[in-house]
Amino acid sequence: MRSDPDLAHAAAKGSEAAFAELVRRHQARVRGMARRLTGSDAQGDDIAQMTFLAAWQKIGTYAGGTFSAWICTICWREFLQWRRRQKIEIEFDETAEIIPFDRSANETETKMDLARALESLTEAQRVCVVLCVAAGLSHREAAEATGWPLGTVKSHVLRGVAQLRTCLASADVA
Amino acid sequence: MRDEENYGDLARLFADEDAALDAAPFTANVMKDIRRQAMLRRLTVGAFGFAGAVIALLQLPDLLSAFVGVDHTVTSALALARTEISQAAASNPMWLAIILGAALSMAAVSMTERT
Repeated sequence: MRSDPDLAHAAAKGSEAAFAELVRRHQARVRGMARRLTGSDAQGDDIAQMTFLAAWQKIGTYAGGTFSAWICTICWREFLQWRRRQKIEIEFDETAEIIPFDRSANETETKMDLARALESLTEAQRVCVVLCVAAGLSHREAAEATGWPLGTVKSHVLRGVAQLRTCLASADVA
Repeated sequence: MRDEENYGDLARLFADEDAALDAAPFTANVMKDIRRQAMLRRLTVGAFGFAGAVIALLQLPDLLSAFVGVDHTVTSALALARTEISQAAASNPMWLAIILGAALSMAAVSMTERT
């Protein structure tokens, strides 16, 4: 099986088949990340699609390393652009309030425990947990992608994970 | 121990959720968009190229007539120069030696010059 850098190299030379293989391999991670960041499956998939379109344009700039971190960084930027269009700023300080997703009652009913637990986090914790725990970026990669200090990312992940565990445990008990 | 190893169980939960997403339609959509963008780009470049070619084609008669004029000027200048060289050589053979020296110098410079 060809490695991600090999496929990216072929895609940079114009191979659509190589890029399609990269999309197939990484779509789940990117769609999952975008869906969790936006709190909406449809908007998440739109952002994931824009992410891969942007990646196709920029594939020549991929300089090796973890492809998933590279594509998740693009996804994060696409998410930020989407947020800017909605004129919403993300607070990453410790005192940031919990901003729940705006979901319809029907969506809330069918949502899984994991998504419910994510909603209980602050926005910054949610971002860090999505990037590091769900998308699999290292703390350093997440810090580079978001531009937030490494210590802040670690702190948000630590608190976010603890909060997630508490929520999931209480859901199990209930 | 890496910090990331503290939440492997949660990471697996998220990964299981992601694994349930169907890859085929999403991948097909992305590739369709990429091909559509490429087609649009080709059409734009082609349209501008075609417009440029049409403009160039319209200018061709003027260009050719100008070239014929230049061609005629160069040809007549060479013929005139040959006549003048013959006249100069007839009046004083030293002109031939001077012209030969100049030609050899130019040939030497052009052969040793790097492009």
